[in-house]
Amino acid sequence: MRHGKLTPSALRRYGFIVSFLLLPLALYIVFFVSPNLQAIQLAFTNSRGISPTFAYVGFDNFTRLFDDDVFWAAVRHHGVILLAMPLLSLLIALFFSFLLNLGGGQRNGRMAGVWGSGFYKVVFFFPQVLAVAIVGVLFQAILRPDKDGILNSALALIGVDPVGWLIDPDLALWTIIGVAVWQAVGFYVVLFSAGMASVPKEIFEAAALDGANRFTLFFRITIPLIWNTVQVGWVYLGIAAFDCFALVQVLSVDRGGPDNATTVLPLEIWRQAFSYYRFGYSSAMGVALVFLVLTFAALTLRVTRRERIEF
Amino acid sequence: MASIVLSNVDKIYAGGVKAVNGLNLEIKDGEFMVLVGPSGCGKSTALRMIAGLEDISGGEISIGDRVVNHLPPKDRDIAMVFQNYALYPHMTVEENLAFGLKLRKMPKAEIAKRVNEAAKMLGLEQYLKRKPAALSGGQRQRVAMGRAIVREPQAFLMDEPLSNLDAKLRVSMRASLNQLHERLGVTTVYVTHDQVEAMTLGDRVCVLRDGLLQQVDTPQNLFDAPVNLFVAGFMGSPSMNFVTAEMVRDANGAAVSFAGYKLPVPDSTFAEKPGLDRYIGKRIILGIRPSDFEDSVAANGNSTGWVRIPVRANVTEELGSEINVLFTIDAPPVEHKDTVAAANDGDEEEVTLPLTGDKSLWTARVNARSHVRPGQNIELVVDTHNLHFFDVESGLSIGHEANIGR
Repeated sequence: MRHGKLTPSALRRYGFIVSFLLLPLALYIVFFVSPNLQAIQLAFTNSRGISPTFAYVGFDNFTRLFDDDVFWAAVRHHGVILLAMPLLSLLIALFFSFLLNLGGGQRNGRMAGVWGSGFYKVVFFFPQVLAVAIVGVLFQAILRPDKDGILNSALALIGVDPVGWLIDPDLALWTIIGVAVWQAVGFYVVLFSAGMASVPKEIFEAAALDGANRFTLFFRITIPLIWNTVQVGWVYLGIAAFDCFALVQVLSVDRGGPDNATTVLPLEIWRQAFSYYRFGYSSAMGVALVFLVLTFAALTLRVTRRERIEF
Repeated sequence: MASIVLSNVDKIYAGGVKAVNGLNLEIKDGEFMVLVGPSGCGKSTALRMIAGLEDISGGEISIGDRVVNHLPPKDRDIAMVFQNYALYPHMTVEENLAFGLKLRKMPKAEIAKRVNEAAKMLGLEQYLKRKPAALSGGQRQRVAMGRAIVREPQAFLMDEPLSNLDAKLRVSMRASLNQLHERLGVTTVYVTHDQVEAMTLGDRVCVLRDGLLQQVDTPQNLFDAPVNLFVAGFMGSPSMNFVTAEMVRDANGAAVSFAGYKLPVPDSTFAEKPGLDRYIGKRIILGIRPSDFEDSVAANGNSTGWVRIPVRANVTEELGSEINVLFTIDAPPVEHKDTVAAANDGDEEEVTLPLTGDKSLWTARVNARSHVRPGQNIELVVDTHNLHFFDVESGLSIGHEANIGR
């Protein structure tokens, strides 16, 4: 191809490659790229979604967005979730997976977890297999604000008054973050366990001989060695932090309440589109969300860039 | 520095597998002790028990004057070199070397001094800022050594440290290891399955098989006076030739006869091996080292007390300085459990093809001047002073001091 000429053999070769790419690419364009482009187009209209006619309104939707308190509340909530959820999930998952895989020290010539770690692995992973709807029902019962809630009745035993876990505006978002962490940790325990299993056990043994206690083993050896895996977890959880639609939908009072204290952008997009039929405005929110996620992804990739570790 | 004493050490794995069985071993202060044996013989397990990486199922291990059975690895004051080096991949060479010292809260100046000394000794100065991934196999191996050296421990434990290197590098690292030991004089326990490494490195060599100690001695003594068929077959390359022979005595004196050959046994041998005379008229297993053969032409004038045997060379392996002549003798191969175990040392490379039928394939190592070709008839001389005799039943070396009364 140096001279820009297509020889028959080159044609055959590229034809072969193209034939593989054509179908997936077509599906991708029709079902992913075009709806997204349409959403951008819709963001500049006053479409109601139910009539075929609409008018272009320029940046009206976006200027309205800037004055929308609910929108800014949702963005703020994303900020809180983005800071708290990945951090808590990763820290807890790292701690648990360390205990499950290395915390027991040497046993029979290999690094082992604490006693009963096989059982705990199953327990930790369990929330991951539950559908969000079930998690919702479960935690509605656990977090009931009256004294009959599972958590509150337990607290009553030590003399704490019933807490309005989901109805207190100052607390509701944190409660939901707590449930999200509870659900996420199991998966990352498994992910980090796999990461730790791929580290040659001699490295941990060498560290033990060098005089590392469990604390140094965790912070100086284990975490640096599975840092790549932690990064992957961070990106996953960060993207998940921009979603949270399902959990807020099933758990929160009034879908995002009380008083918009727990609302998130996907929920607002959904509400604007399908409750108020403001498709244009909803699309503008969607475009804003895309830019938020892209900014996050670019920042993360830049900040966490590091040399790959070879064993 | 300290001696290491293992007394009646057992290692029993879940399921009742006894990896190490009543091991008694004393490694003297400053000694280079090599544990050698085929794979699965328990040599690595023994080393890891000394290091504290494996629990001790029974018996006692002491380093210096301390019983260390229940001490964690870090309190045993030993350093270990692993087969895959186990360098910390996220640290530079310098950090790798300093890690153990930092954890022991050593002053910074002292750490820097020791790291620089070790780096100089091992020629690693220009690599101090590199990560292990940017080093070659030999360099990584040296870093692993350096990590042990900077600790200045009571003992070095090495678990096949050279087996991941290519053949040429292995030979040069072997020499460096020897020099290093000369210089530092630290008690060293070295595990290998390679008997050449064992012979060249060890002050003393400990041969293990199925968790049982076979023999501990200097390399030369192991080679000259193996305690049983297993040690005889395992040590030395090419390995010792065996044949079932009959011990006779007639007017000309004592002799062993096999496959139509008759080798006289000098009187001095009976003096060296008490109890050998009781085997006269009985069957024994005869062992002859390939190096105790010579081409009669090449050995001319140098063969007093040597006996000539005519053979036909099947295969010749020319190694430059000498030739391995492979020939068959008209006797069935010795099938004692010990000779089978010794030949099968896990390397797979010693699997001989069953081309020889019901005959034994022997090897003679002759001088390169012999110019013998495959298919030629050749007259070999045998040094009858170095014949080895083994009991047919027990496989024990007859008249070996360790076997008297056994």
